[in-house]
Amino acid sequence: MAQITTRTITPADITGPGAWWCRGCGDFGVTAAFRQVVLTLVNEMGIPLEQIFVLSGIGCSSKEPEMLRLNAYHGQHGRSIPVALGLAIANPNLVVVDFGGDGDSYAIGMEHFVHACIRNINLTLIVMNNQVYGLTKGQASPTAHLGLKTSSTPEGKKMRPVNPLRLAIAAGAAFVGRGVSWQKNELAELMHKAISTKGFSLLDVFSPCVTYHREPGFRGSGPIVDWYRQNYALDIQEAWREMRDQIFTEEERAHLPAEYDPTSPEAAISALRLIAEAAKIGREVTGLLIINESAPDMATALSVSAEKPPALADISIERNVERYRELLAELR
Amino acid sequence: MPAIQICGAGRAGDGTNTHILTLGQAFKDLGAWVFIWREEVYSNIQTRDSGFGLRAADRPIYGPDDEFDILEAFDQGALVDTTGEGRVPPIARLRPGGVLIYDSSTRLDYPNAGYEVKPDVVGDLLRSHRIRVFDLPMGQMAKQTFQSYIVRGTIALGVIAEVLSIPDEPFLSRFHRTFGDRGDLLEMNRQALTMGRSYAHEQGWQLPDMRIAFTAAAQDDRQLLLGDEAVAAGAIVAGCRFFAGYPLTPASEILEYMAEKLPHFNGVVVQADSEMAVAHHILGASVAGARSMTATSGPGFSLMQEAISASGSNETPMVIAICQRGGPGTGLPTKIGQEDLNETIFGGHGDFARIVLAASEPEEAFYVMEQVFNLAEVYQCPVFLLLDQMIAQSSYTTPALDPSHFTIDRGKLLGLEAVAQLLKGNGRYKRYQLTADGISPRVIPGTPGVTTCYINSNEHTEEGHITEEQAIRQAMVEKRVIKRMALIRKDPRLPRPRLLGPADAPIGFIGYGAVYGPILEALAQLETEGQRAKFLELRTLWPLHGREVRDFVRSCQKVYVSEHSAGAQLRGLIQREATGPMPRRLRSILRYDGRLMTPGYILSQMREA
Repeated sequence: MAQITTRTITPADITGPGAWWCRGCGDFGVTAAFRQVVLTLVNEMGIPLEQIFVLSGIGCSSKEPEMLRLNAYHGQHGRSIPVALGLAIANPNLVVVDFGGDGDSYAIGMEHFVHACIRNINLTLIVMNNQVYGLTKGQASPTAHLGLKTSSTPEGKKMRPVNPLRLAIAAGAAFVGRGVSWQKNELAELMHKAISTKGFSLLDVFSPCVTYHREPGFRGSGPIVDWYRQNYALDIQEAWREMRDQIFTEEERAHLPAEYDPTSPEAAISALRLIAEAAKIGREVTGLLIINESAPDMATALSVSAEKPPALADISIERNVERYRELLAELR
Repeated sequence: MPAIQICGAGRAGDGTNTHILTLGQAFKDLGAWVFIWREEVYSNIQTRDSGFGLRAADRPIYGPDDEFDILEAFDQGALVDTTGEGRVPPIARLRPGGVLIYDSSTRLDYPNAGYEVKPDVVGDLLRSHRIRVFDLPMGQMAKQTFQSYIVRGTIALGVIAEVLSIPDEPFLSRFHRTFGDRGDLLEMNRQALTMGRSYAHEQGWQLPDMRIAFTAAAQDDRQLLLGDEAVAAGAIVAGCRFFAGYPLTPASEILEYMAEKLPHFNGVVVQADSEMAVAHHILGASVAGARSMTATSGPGFSLMQEAISASGSNETPMVIAICQRGGPGTGLPTKIGQEDLNETIFGGHGDFARIVLAASEPEEAFYVMEQVFNLAEVYQCPVFLLLDQMIAQSSYTTPALDPSHFTIDRGKLLGLEAVAQLLKGNGRYKRYQLTADGISPRVIPGTPGVTTCYINSNEHTEEGHITEEQAIRQAMVEKRVIKRMALIRKDPRLPRPRLLGPADAPIGFIGYGAVYGPILEALAQLETEGQRAKFLELRTLWPLHGREVRDFVRSCQKVYVSEHSAGAQLRGLIQREATGPMPRRLRSILRYDGRLMTPGYILSQMREA
């Protein structure tokens, strides 16, 4: 009989044949970080490779399973979260990681995204956020910033962007964070924490589109990363240091810790204030915003046990028939 | 056929439903076969007219008859069109010589307040039809004696019990089942029953002409259940352990039953945020290895089309029960329709294999769940069970349902040993391996040794990776559509059409679902008139058993395809898949006013068709 994989795995073991992204695409960084995390999960934490299950929707980012060699599901646009729910609830032993894009998760899949946070499904959603619909050639996505010129916003985007971190915090996600694709180790660390958190984890990742995301003066893969660094991303710790005087009263400031603490009970309020304050200067915060495992995850709330998951239930007629007879006797 | 048909008519929320249900349960316990249906229910919780029908007979029945023997008027809506929308009140279906029992309270309580019964407004009709009228102020009696208006339904039970000579016992045993250890409610209902009986006795009310001598079995193990309950119970026996749903009439009872029962069988129920989510939840659970399903109606089913198409592409077993109601749009939420046949067979973009089964009464609905789940796993495709509001939300007596008849066939779902063998041979698991029969082995994620189970609804290679190359596209389409449907067509487990009536009869009927009972009774009626007719009940709608249907049609001079669809969807399917146009032989009997067909309706339409 085959055994659960116990041997040490290498990146080659979990690398698929995929070649889907443009040279310099941020998604390569996300993939490299994820492979690193899978190696840690399997080689150091002893999680069977067989129990890791990845999903994706539709879009450039959703080609992720192609870049891997893992049990996976590549589905419909915006619908990977509800499929992931089915897997996570039918068998809580699975380590479920869902990859989406900003169009996938925050536009067509928004319904599922918000309910996933509220239900606190034990899975990790990694969103490769690049402000455009890459696979359909560069239209503005829900996260595109005000004024961004794309093929669908020729005069610049006129409506305000979705702020996924704010939504996830308000909806009660257990983990809320944002990484950047060009810092692989930091991203891997965030991913590992997201996957290790019991409950719903949102890890939004700035993963720049080098082909369609155009900022005046920043064309090309190196420059667009520079734009994010210089003009857009703001680390949560830096925001904490620089903005707390503006957003907290003097009385509040007296009790504030030196560093932003994502595990503190006040983290949600602090993070929402920092996000709002950063937005005033056109910035988006990055880093680890929330870890809060106080609410039960969905499987626990529904009393689904990992020892006897519904997916592996004994459905033999012979062994259940007496209980079925009792069930039918009620319908008289 | 000795039978009695009673209508209880009042207002939503006034207890009429419970009253008729209890009366039906009592008849069943006396040995009768009963059918209890929603004669008039609006998509409204309290205030609209509301009527429930009960028919009890000495043999199995599967639908209403045209006329009521007894009408119980719990308010004026039973007698007149109180809304002025052109509603036909139940009194119009009370037969000449029938009985009207009404609440003669001068003031009724909420929700009946303002609808006090004034029989004089139909005085001419009562006289010309020789209606016997029994009046008692049951609302006032209930309030004065029990301080509970709602218990008037039990007083009415006492009246019926007395005039039809039904003993107390069946009612009392049902009260025990309903109220359990609530001794106060038990006692109140017992007294209310006696009060109604005594009142009727004192008035000298008797209906000897309507009494039927039923024979109760010593050990009555027959069922009394909704079609929705039969589907849900059948699904549990068939191994369903994951149910996702979104409340939608007339399928909500399946969600509710599952929510109550499934956790006791190591299963789980997810009430989702939409039907889009529902359909993808069950795909995810199915991938995880659970037998999973949902139940819905037209509007929800439309939202599921995307996931259905995904299932067709990525070969994930999927089970959906569709309880049809009047459409399109949100249409008639609480009323009959059979307008979703085309969407069930042709919905979802792209070409893919699918199976559509139907059930015409709860016994069939229960047992067919075995095949629904087996076929979904064997052929790794969507399997639909097409029902309608009548079977979904009506209660029927059926023979005892036997779970030991079920078998579980999980098709090519590999167990641990089989996976080990496969890995030894191939080295690596391939989800879409091209096999001789075109069906690839499935595995449950987490199975030791399997890390390459890649499920994909984009066109894919054997390994599941995205491809757009010509040769593999061709091979995958042939595997998934052409070979698969060829296999399905030959599968003897697809329930064949059932021929009812004499094989050499020149008049034929074809239908499924709600039309089943009324057609059977129309055949019997025709026979008494010296006309021989037969009925082909369809139990598999896709793929259609074309040869049987064609042979049946050819053996008849005229065939009446009966359905609740203005678009004659079933006739269209038969013409497309079995017979061609045949305009002279094929006729339609259609009903699309949201009301159930009856034997009389079928016969009158047949004469016009």
